[in-house]
Amino acid sequence: MKKAQKYAPILPVLMAYIALFVVGKGMTGMWQLVATLLFYCALGQAFNIFMGMTGYVDFGYVAFMGVGTYGMALTITRFADFQGFGVGIIIIGFFAALLFSTLLSLAVGAVALRLRGAYFAIATIGVNEGFRFLIEGARIWNGSEGLIFTAQLNQILGKQSASRLAVFWADVIVFGIAIFAACLTLAYMRSKIGYALTALREDEDAAKVMGINVTKYKIIAFVTSSCIAGLIGATSWALKTPYVFPPEVFEIHYTIEAIIIVLLGGAGTLLGPIVGGLIYGISKYYLSVILPGFQLLIFAPIIIVIIIMFPEGVVGVFRKKIKGTKLERYFM
Amino acid sequence: MVLEQLIGNLIQGLVLGAVYGMATMGLSLIFGVLQIVNVGHGAFIMVGAFITYWLFTALGLNPIFAVPIAFVFGMALGLLFYYTAMKRLIKAPELASLLVTFSIGVLLQEIVKLIFGSEFRGYNWVVGKINLGITVLPMTKLYAAIGSVLIAVLLYLWFNKTRYGSAMRCVVEDSEGARVCGINVGGVYAMSFGLGIGLTVASGVLLTMFIPVGINPYMGGGYTLKAFVIAVLGGLASPYGAFFGGLVFGLIENGSYTLFALIPGVEPFALTRFFSFMILLAILLVRPTGLLKAK
Amino acid sequence: MNRTRVSIVFVLCATVVFVASSAFAAESIIIGHPACLSGKYAKAGEQAIGGIKACIDWVNTSYGGVSLGGKKVPLEYKYYDCESSKEQVTSLIGRLITVDKVNVVFAPYSSGLTLRGAPIAESRKMLYMDHGGANNKIFEQGFEYIVQTIGPATSYHQGTLNMIKKIAPKDKKVAMAYEDSEFAKMVMQGAREHAQKLGFSVVFERTYPKGVTDLTPLLSALKASKPDFVLGGGHFEDGQLFNRQMADLDLDVKGLSLIAAATLPAFYNALTSMAEGVMGPSHWEYGVKYAETEAKKLGLRWIGPDQDAFVALFKKSLGKEIIPDYHAAEAGAQVLAYVLAVEKAKTTDTTKVRAALGDLTFMSFYGGWDVDDTGLQVGHSMVDVQWQDSKRIIVWPEEAQTGKPCYPMPTFAEKAKGKKATP
Repeated sequence: MKKAQKYAPILPVLMAYIALFVVGKGMTGMWQLVATLLFYCALGQAFNIFMGMTGYVDFGYVAFMGVGTYGMALTITRFADFQGFGVGIIIIGFFAALLFSTLLSLAVGAVALRLRGAYFAIATIGVNEGFRFLIEGARIWNGSEGLIFTAQLNQILGKQSASRLAVFWADVIVFGIAIFAACLTLAYMRSKIGYALTALREDEDAAKVMGINVTKYKIIAFVTSSCIAGLIGATSWALKTPYVFPPEVFEIHYTIEAIIIVLLGGAGTLLGPIVGGLIYGISKYYLSVILPGFQLLIFAPIIIVIIIMFPEGVVGVFRKKIKGTKLERYFM
Repeated sequence: MVLEQLIGNLIQGLVLGAVYGMATMGLSLIFGVLQIVNVGHGAFIMVGAFITYWLFTALGLNPIFAVPIAFVFGMALGLLFYYTAMKRLIKAPELASLLVTFSIGVLLQEIVKLIFGSEFRGYNWVVGKINLGITVLPMTKLYAAIGSVLIAVLLYLWFNKTRYGSAMRCVVEDSEGARVCGINVGGVYAMSFGLGIGLTVASGVLLTMFIPVGINPYMGGGYTLKAFVIAVLGGLASPYGAFFGGLVFGLIENGSYTLFALIPGVEPFALTRFFSFMILLAILLVRPTGLLKAK
Repeated sequence: MNRTRVSIVFVLCATVVFVASSAFAAESIIIGHPACLSGKYAKAGEQAIGGIKACIDWVNTSYGGVSLGGKKVPLEYKYYDCESSKEQVTSLIGRLITVDKVNVVFAPYSSGLTLRGAPIAESRKMLYMDHGGANNKIFEQGFEYIVQTIGPATSYHQGTLNMIKKIAPKDKKVAMAYEDSEFAKMVMQGAREHAQKLGFSVVFERTYPKGVTDLTPLLSALKASKPDFVLGGGHFEDGQLFNRQMADLDLDVKGLSLIAAATLPAFYNALTSMAEGVMGPSHWEYGVKYAETEAKKLGLRWIGPDQDAFVALFKKSLGKEIIPDYHAAEAGAQVLAYVLAVEKAKTTDTTKVRAALGDLTFMSFYGGWDVDDTGLQVGHSMVDVQWQDSKRIIVWPEEAQTGKPCYPMPTFAEKAKGKKATP
């Protein structure tokens, strides 16, 4: 495949994100909504790298976001007193987040990736909950009291910048993360990794028999997906919200949201998470405005209907329709 | 003194574990026969709890009578959900069924909230208690435990002595083979799902006999997680395994508390939970079929 | 059903709903609120909305509206459901500020969510009023636009300790058992310090995790330490469980004080006779003696409906026969504080109103109100409520009493036989 053709699918992705950015900056009052939508899209993109491409359901996914948040939060609180580091501390925070999520995912991977299907799902829940109770039980990282650090953030960056960070720059960073995740997804899909993962998603035993090193590719996808989750946690949670409480950052409902977003859009597709994130985020938002208190009542049956009738997601259905046309190579 | 407390806690744990175990049997049954993990498990327990509460406060009905009523209600609910949603998901990737069962759980929560409000409810069924010296056991807890054991025994008889039960076992072994033998596999699936949900809702009744307060629409979540650990302990596909898993879990949860409490500066309850999840991981790695011999 | 048809119908419905939701506002002062109507804080959120609506109703009808620039301006209330979730809080506050152009934002319930919305409110210099976040640390972060109406966490158990010191000075052994969460820990930290100051000795102190289902192991250990009275800390479910399992274990003590749960009507409904004699600190309880006459005696400005009027307005606004609890009262009091501040500052400009709030002291049906420089509430005192003969009696402080405390409370065995807690 020609280079250009190979990477053409990134165009709709970039267009979508740029459009979001423009809408957010342009229309009044939309930026915070766009920020939330972006959070969901990025979450979906990251989750898709592992779940979408391998078909394994990591039910404890939010744990990676959680440790990423802690990485950033701990860096901010421990380094706040060092004068003159300024933005550098935030950058160190990102590295800490990456480090924590890589370590956790390697640990989890070593244990859980040997299992399949429902066993894998439950094992990952085990890790998620286990880790959360470890923090609360052994009272590490300030235990269940969590960390509140607006004051330290103000100390590091100065009040104005810290405020700007929380309401604007953090979201810009999330844009970056989302685009980065999309590019990675495409790179994986177009490379050996993609072939291996598709093979193992279809039939893992057959893939093994064919000589594909299934474990190696699973780990690559798993760690990538987890690291991006860590970055999202560090940004959308630690930088945007000046506190960390263990029960909140290990809450399973974020994993469920990630699953919904990926499935809604189309698991394993490039555009799926974006479409899913937008549909999910917008529906939730407007439902909470129009029918406060009843969103879940409406959402739950809708999700059931969608999963049963459109299991391949919006993008999956769309791709079926445009098969054989020129559009096909732009929409993955 | 610590030993006294330990034994006291272990006794309480055993009683609690019987109820937990019974609550998990439905989950394992559904997974064993249909290969579906019911992530909305806790919500059905919650439904059972509300049925008990309502029957007791509105009709003055003894919770013991609530058990069969809840069971029948649960079966009906299960069959309803099977024919409208689950049927199409038998052959689908587990992701779809995970998400659908979760959504069903959420739907139940919201409906109950609409009917009862989000207030925390409870009821007071006074039947006295037994003083064992080292600990005090309320009779309601004892009834709950006895009820759980009875139901487990009934289930055993069902599986081994009735035609329908045997049919279910055949389907677990080999669904294609069972079809060839003339067994109505679709019917077995429906019955199993109905039975599983019925058991779960009934267990909600027993659970309130153990903890008759704090009943609210969102109470299910914690029980779902516990159920997963117990189901794995006993072997995901085996309902009796679930019962024994529950007993073991109850013992571990309350027993380890005494030991963790001896360590200064830690939160013993949280560590107990951490410990139980570590055991879950260990078992999944070493003996995924659970602690009992493979069925 | 054909899949395309299903999707078309769906999209059409969504568009219709979306279009129909566009609304327009008239000349009024708008209060914005990303409330918790579903999710874990649903109950508190519902109460808060009832309280806010009740007081807004009072302001617009009995009070006539807010006096501004020679006119009487009505209050308007715009609220959405944040689902007790962080992500919704920021997007909804963003909408309230920019699209709905509200003049003040009321924070969502709970310290965590209050904190989540603080940066965005602060960045827009939007007044942010906190009625549900009691964590003192919120006010140590340097936010300039946040003002608290709820009492801070550390003060919760101080009243109980003061009371026991006065009526039973020989009972020195206190046991503390509480939820392992930031709020409860803060409460107990305040309690511990105050207890030590007053000369009590803490013979037992242990935590339990959120969402605990069985407290028996902890309570067995507590029983062994033989305390005179017990201070508990947590929320609604564990509060009920705590009392219930103490009864199961025949764990008799002379006094039991539980935060959050014990003062709500649902508590007695769930526990009946076991709850007799159980106490709890509360920000507000129906029956407190705050009235215009009290305010005059203390030389404080009085505003707002009296208790009974508030309860009536509350029931009307929710359309249900439920009694307001302190969540409703503190949210309602916030409306009154805001109105007074706007009238004092003679403008709705948020910076000036915030300054006016800083200087404001007044009394309402909720009690006293006064904030320090950081916005922390210092003028409001908590009351201690005790269940006596299935009624809630305010037993402390003496100026707010509607009855004397019953101490020691009857044993669980006596209560099961029908003995009531009477002084």
